[in-house]
Formats: sequence, structure tokens, C-alpha cells
Amino acid sequence: MSIEVSESAGGATYRENAEALIRLRGVGKTYERGGEKLKILDGLNLDVPKGSFEALMGPSGSGKSTLLNLIAGLDRPTTGTLEIDGKRLDQMSDGELAKWRANTIGFVFQSYNLLPVLTAIENVELPLLLTNVASSERRKRAQTALRVVGLEDRMTHYPRQLSGGQEQRVAIARAIVNDPKIIVGDEPTGDLDRHSADEILNLLQKLNKELGKTIIMVTHDPAAAERATLVRHLDKGALK
Amino acid sequence: MTLTSLAARNIFRNKFRTVLTVLGVAVAILTFILLRTVLNAWGRGAEFAAKDRIVTRNKVTFVIPLPKRYIDEVRRAPGVKQATWANWFGGKDPKHDREFFATLAIDTKSYFDVFDELSLPPDQKAAFLADRRSAIVGDMLAKKLGYKIGDKVTLESGIFGNDPANPWTFTIAGIYTTTSKSADRSTFMFHWDYLNEASPLRAQDKIGWITSRVENASGAATIATQIDQIFDDKEMATSSADEYAFRNSFLAGVSAILKALNVISVVILLIMMLILGNTIAMGVRERTNEYGVLRALGFRPGHIAWFILGEAMLTGLLGGAVGLAMAYPLIEGGMRRAIEENMGQFFPHFGIAPEVTVAAFALAVVLGAAAAIFPAYQASQLKVVDALRRVA
Amino acid sequence: MIPVRYNIRSLAVRRATTAATALGIALVVFVLASAMMLAAGIKKTLSSSGRADNAIVLRKGSNAELGSVIEDPSVNIITAQPGVKKDGTVPIAVGEVIVVAALEKIGAAGITNVQMRGVPDNAMKFRPEMKLIEGTMPRPGSAEVMIGTRIRGRFKGLELGQSFDLKKNRPVMVVGIFSDGGSSYESEVWVDRDTLKSAYGREGIVSSVRVRLDSPAAFDGFKGAIESDKALGFDAMRETEYFDKQSEGTSMLVGGLGTLISVFFSIGAMIGAMITMYAAVANRQREIGTLRALGFSRSSILFSFLLESISLAMLGGIVGVIASIGMGAVKFSMMNFSSWSEIVFSFDPTPKIIITALVFAAGMGLLGGFFPAIRAARISPVTAMRGG
Repeated sequence: MSIEVSESAGGATYRENAEALIRLRGVGKTYERGGEKLKILDGLNLDVPKGSFEALMGPSGSGKSTLLNLIAGLDRPTTGTLEIDGKRLDQMSDGELAKWRANTIGFVFQSYNLLPVLTAIENVELPLLLTNVASSERRKRAQTALRVVGLEDRMTHYPRQLSGGQEQRVAIARAIVNDPKIIVGDEPTGDLDRHSADEILNLLQKLNKELGKTIIMVTHDPAAAERATLVRHLDKGALK
Repeated sequence: MTLTSLAARNIFRNKFRTVLTVLGVAVAILTFILLRTVLNAWGRGAEFAAKDRIVTRNKVTFVIPLPKRYIDEVRRAPGVKQATWANWFGGKDPKHDREFFATLAIDTKSYFDVFDELSLPPDQKAAFLADRRSAIVGDMLAKKLGYKIGDKVTLESGIFGNDPANPWTFTIAGIYTTTSKSADRSTFMFHWDYLNEASPLRAQDKIGWITSRVENASGAATIATQIDQIFDDKEMATSSADEYAFRNSFLAGVSAILKALNVISVVILLIMMLILGNTIAMGVRERTNEYGVLRALGFRPGHIAWFILGEAMLTGLLGGAVGLAMAYPLIEGGMRRAIEENMGQFFPHFGIAPEVTVAAFALAVVLGAAAAIFPAYQASQLKVVDALRRVA
Repeated sequence: MIPVRYNIRSLAVRRATTAATALGIALVVFVLASAMMLAAGIKKTLSSSGRADNAIVLRKGSNAELGSVIEDPSVNIITAQPGVKKDGTVPIAVGEVIVVAALEKIGAAGITNVQMRGVPDNAMKFRPEMKLIEGTMPRPGSAEVMIGTRIRGRFKGLELGQSFDLKKNRPVMVVGIFSDGGSSYESEVWVDRDTLKSAYGREGIVSSVRVRLDSPAAFDGFKGAIESDKALGFDAMRETEYFDKQSEGTSMLVGGLGTLISVFFSIGAMIGAMITMYAAVANRQREIGTLRALGFSRSSILFSFLLESISLAMLGGIVGVIASIGMGAVKFSMMNFSSWSEIVFSFDPTPKIIITALVFAAGMGLLGGFFPAIRAARISPVTAMRGG
């Protein structure tokens, strides 16, 4: 009931942003730790238009990771509504969320998270296994994605045979292989040296400009934030 | 805070895994104890056998009986105190077709002198001796087949003919118990005289085997040889051995199974080592950089190895204790009664031997250590810098 | 679907752990399969001795030939019953004497019983499957014997050209070795019937009479005729049924003992698999979180880890089965409880046993991997973010 109310209230305020791809209204997130309730986000409103490249910044504990998890569909808000591309994430079951993520979100993690036992191309191919794409076509698309990140000559290498920057580029290839609308980055340059970090940021920019991907990225790095079209600051669960 | 308590603390680091490992070791120890107990019980039958009793039977095959006059010769042999005889009747109660029990035709005049572990209330004994068509049964058999004193029981013989007009019918005159563990409490015994009279003429005066009691158990082997010498040139040669040796030769027939059980009881220990070694190796791998820290603080490779060995031995100890705690109620509480009552003739005594307990416990600890030798060696050989850099 | 090679390679990466766990399972499967193969070998040995169109007649109440006594005059009455096949006017039948003799076993302490069969001249003709494979046929009425191929060399004197005493000062010489497709006859010594009878004081009697029937269907008529004469006091059985009964106790003991032990063992091996799989799940939390983040469902994670556990167990299962097939070369001699004499058995690896053993291994993997897989499926996709 309270969700309905907050939706109608928020809806009036943000009507001019009807084109937004991502739309949060009165979103709150509370965790329970040892019987104690921990309010991370409270009554957050946010609109992200299609095709933007946004950086989320803020001190540790500000709630930026929580916000990113919500947008990525990894977690559900405790209160409020979360609508992405016309779908209500807050009303989805775990299974529906998983399916939704597979179609809509591409992930780039801080520590790459490639499966160590799969080769580069197998890692990239992984998300396609959730679709009905035929195996020869899967291979082709994975190759294309690796070409986009400039690693077509490293296809059969295992993650441990690659440098950090190369691993992250494979991760980006994996993030784009099923053509998601949104790419979510969690400190994508956090583990990298300056040079590799720049390469990754160039790539993300390219994806945003040339392929029109909407990118949301949490970062500590001011140089990374500079590449974004919009920088949002989060503090104590509120956007500034 | 001691080095030992540091090792002990690591055990409770991953409580869940420790619980599983202890459980795995416990099941292995339980199985080991169970197998050893079966093997012991198998051999135990012989162990409880009287060493001062000699069994004399046909040398070539026990199926063919001896002439009755052999008994007199045995009684005259030096060193023999008493002697009696019995025939295997191969009886079966057609009402309980699937129940196997021993049926003996005994010489009632001498049998109880030689087998003094059979105890029968005086009035029942008197009744049995008075009626040559009566029988006595062991208390276990009576319980199993529901025989009561005064019951009429008809048996079919697998060896002596069964004449429908004149069946083998007996009155139960008594129910015996025994004072010795090895004696079978499921035997059906009746008068040899009755069997003899009922047999056709040419089958009369034949006795299955002779059991004699000697004055001195230590001389039994010599006396057995002397008895055999008496009959060496007669129409049928004999083979004599004290009861202990006799039961042992019976075991030879199933020696292959015993050998297999022996091997299997070692296999379960191997499985236990694999489980324990695996757990220890996983723990070591996850803690590699902690060992690096310890080394950096100045601990020597030997310390690291001891941490790991100590952890393994303690886990083995716990598993052994839990295994024993499971084995005692299961074997002593549950199985013992069931097996001694139902399979008394094979397993007169079924219980955990103290030395098996000690061995199981010691093996759990020692094999625990053995399983940890390799991971302990590896961890102690790591270079400090490498160990520190290693992330689980 | 998460690809299977993900699981296979994960197993390969944790080589030592995988090997230790699989070896544990292999040992269990080895014990189980060997016991089943031995039980099957016992059944096969004893039941391949029988023919459907043979009937065996024993003294009523006798469970085995050893304890049965049939007087010579009754033999002709038995063979004259309806349903018995004739060669011209002569019924096709054999009356044989069975005794057991204690012989010295080679390579083991003590003496063991060996079954001796006193056979008439037509005993081989009655069993056309039987073949003399070495030496010559014993001359009728002589002190020559032949022995089954399975006991040759296992007892003192039981080898071509050697001799042993039937009784004191009555030596017989082994002149021939016969085979019979692995049947229990191969564990017997065949002696001339009259020689055996006089040596053992069994004049005037035989232990059993076997007759060839006109057809397997003629059995009921034959049995009816034999058993209707109560005064004779005989039992007629199909030979196949008789041998089935002979193997019952022994194969049940081996099969039962094997199954019981395997159940206990498998608990241990299952706990081993569980420990390994829990560790696998714990070490790969971030991987699992990533898969979940990429959109793989809980059930596909569950399935993937079950598959990994089953693959692990199957690896052990295959090794165990192969090792147990190796037992085929081993001869296992033990007492047959119905004849009190030693019979040599072999391990018989039937396809059914191999499949059962592998299914058993898979079952251990499934059960051992079940709870770890559930834990894996519960890992939140949020675990993928940061260090997790």
C-alpha cells in the first residue's frame, strides 16, 4: 500500500522525465545485521535517461554499491519502486530478476570475476548460454565482442595467462556480448594501473558513444569519473 | 596460549567441515570395529572350545559313520577319562522348513558326563532319560520355534529314511541351557538307542563320531595321535583332534571369506585416511598465508608441520571417540543379543574385544597423522615470501 | 545451462582433492562390485551345472546329494517311470555316489573337503557339454580318476600324473582333466563308481539318480509318479532348480555381506564427497555470485554443482568398476554350505552389475553433493561485487 502512495506522489514530481530508462521512486533499502536494522538508502528518487554515462561517487558506506546492486537487479529495494525500461524490478521474483539481468544488464566487476577454468572466449560466450542462440552463432558473437575490446588474438587464453587490463577487457566483452541496454560497472578500474585503467575507460566511452549503451559506474577514481557524462555524489544514502 | 591450543583452535575454524570429517572418521571406525568383531566372533567359537575334549571321526569323510565298538577301544586308551558318541541326524521340522538347527542322536548314558556344560533341571533330565522317544532342546531353539515341554515334534531326517507310517516323533522332555559360551544353545538331542533300533539291520551299531575327555588338556594332541594309531590298521581309519583344532579346521572352509573381510577392514581405514587427508590438505591450502605470517614471526618449518600433524591427530582422536561411542550401543546393545540368539552356532560370542577398541582408537590417531604427513611437509617447505603472497 | 566443461575443468584444477575423493568412492564401488560379481559367480557356477530337461531324484528330506541314500534296487524303479527318455530301450540315466574326502590344501594350513563323485561308465555321455581337456579317460573299473579343471593343483595329489589315497593303501591316479563351462563339477574328483563304493563302504547304494526327460514339460508327470509312491520316499527336482537351491545360502551370504559392508562404506565416501563439495562451493563463492549476476538461475547453479558432484563420483565409480573387473582373474575358493566341500568360484562381471555399481556411485555423488549444491544455489548474486 505505502508503495502505491509513494509512486503516485513521486510520479507527479518527475513527470517531465518520462523518457528515463531507469526510474527510482522513494527507494529505501534496510539491512538487518545482528538484530539491528541498518538503513542504507532512504526515499531515493532517481532518473537515468537512455544513453547516458553516469558515475556514482561517494565515501565508503554512502550506499553507492547498494544503489548499484539495485539498479543491476542483484537485490530488491525494501521500499519504493524501481522501474527499468518499463519493467518493475521491485515486483519481480528471484527467478524473474535472473532472467531480466541476463537480457538487460552487462556487468564489469572490480576484480573481473572471470571463471578461471574457462578460456577468454568461453567466458565471453557464457551469457549467451542463457539465450536460444545456436552454438556456431554464439561463437561468432563472442569473437566479435573480443574484437571490439581488441583481444581477438587472446581467445584461447585462460584468465591466469592474461594481465589485469586484459582480463578486464575480456570482462567487458562478456558484458556486451548479448547486447544489453545497460552496463553496470563496480569500480571497473579499481584494480588496474593508470595505463590499463585508461584503456578500459576509453572502451566504456566508446561503448557509450558508438553503441549507445547506458552505463552506470561506481568509482573512487576522479579520472574515471571525468569520462562520464554525469557524476552523481551519494552521501549517507542520499543523492546530492 | 600454547602451540597445541593453537593447533586445536584451527580445528574449530571451519566447524562444519570438522564435524563432517569427524563423522566420516567415526563411520569408518565404526565399520572397522564391526568387521573386526565379526572376524573375532568367527574365530571365537573355536577359542571357547574345550581343549580337553577330543573328537574322533572317520578319517576320510565325516559322512560315513564308525563301527560302535570303536567306543570301547577309545575308552580303553590311556589318558582318556570319559568318552561318548553322537550321530548327525540331519533333522528338519517340516513346520519350520527354513530353520536350520543341529539334530544329534546322543548316547544318553555318557553324553552329559563329557559335555558337562549342558545344564538341565534334574526332573527334566530324569524324564528325558526315562523315555527313549523323548528329546531335549536348547533354550534358544525352544524360543525360536516355540517348543514347550510335553510337545510332540515330528522331524524329517536328511540322512536316515523317513517312513510315513512310522515317522520320527519325539516328546520334548527338557530344555537345556549352557554354562559355556561356545556351546550351541540351538541343538535338538534325542536317544541314540531309538535311532539305532529304528535303523535297518545293516545300518545298526554305527556311530557318527566319538568325543572323549582327557585328564590333562596339555596332553590332548598326543592322546589324539595315539587314538588314531589304534585304528590305523582297522577297516576304518580315524582322525582325532581336540575341539579347538577341530573347530579351526572348520574355519578353513570359509578362510577365503575371512581373508576378504580382513582386506576390507583395511580398505575402510584407507578411505578414512583419504577423507581426513583431504580435509587437512584443504585447510592447509586455505591457510597458506597464515603459515607465511607465522614463519615471518619466527616460527620454524617444524612448528608448522607440527601444527598440521597435531590438528590431524586431534581430528582422528575425535572421530575415533565418536566411532566408539556409536559402536558400543550398536554392537553391544543391539546386535549382540540378536546375533547370539539367532546365529548362536556360528557366533557363540559376539562382542567388541578390548584390543579392538584400543586398536581402532590408536589407528584413528596414527593414520590421521599419516594422512597429514604430505600436506604438513608441503606447508613446512613453503618459502615465507611465497606463502605470504598466496591468497586463498 | 552452465556448460559441463566448467565443472569438469574445476575438478581438474583441484587435482589432489578430486583424486582423494574419487579414490575413496572407487574403493567403495570396488568392494560392492566385487561382492556382487562373486555372488553372481557362485550362482553361475552352481546353476550352470543343471539342465532343464534333467531331473534329479534324492531321498526325501535330503537337501543335497551328499546326504541322500538310494538303494540299488530302487534305481531301476526310478528310471522306469514315465517321462524318462530312452536310448532304444535303455533309459538315459545315471546313478552316482557322492562322498567328501578331506584333502590337504596346497598353500593353506589344514585339510579341506573335496567332493568325490563315483560315476558309472555313461556319466560323460549323460553330460555332453563336458569335455576331457587333458590326459585320457579313466579306464572303467580301474583305480584311475579324472578331476575338474578348477581344482587341479589346489590340493596335494590333484594334478595330472599324480596320485592320492582314497583310503589307506588305496591310491588312485589322476589320468584326466575335464572342463564343464565353469560349473561346480569342475571342483570335483570323478572316480569309478564301484571303486569309490568299495573304498568307502557304500556298497549297494547310490546318492542320487539323474534322468533325462523326454522334454522339460515331462517333469511334472515324472515327479508325480516318483512322489506318489510314499514307500519309496523320494523327492524329484528339476536339476536346474536343485542347483539353484544349492547356491542360495552361499550366494546370499556373500551378496548380503557385500551389500551391508558397502552401505557402511558408502556413508564414509559420501561424507568425503560432501566435504569436498562444500569446500568447492566455499572457494568459488565469487564465481557462483558472478554466474548468478550474469543471469543464471538458482536451479541452474544447483544442477551444475550436482553435476559436478556426480562427475566426481562417477570418476571414482569407473575406476572402482575397472579394478573390480580385474578381479575376474582371481579364483575364489570357499566352502559351499550345502555340500560342506570346497568349490572354486570366479568373479562374474555381468553388465547388470557394472551398471548397478555405476548407478550406486552416481547416487553417492548425488546424495553427497545435494546439500553443498543447495548452499551454492543460495549464494546471492551480490557476492560477485567487490571481494565478495
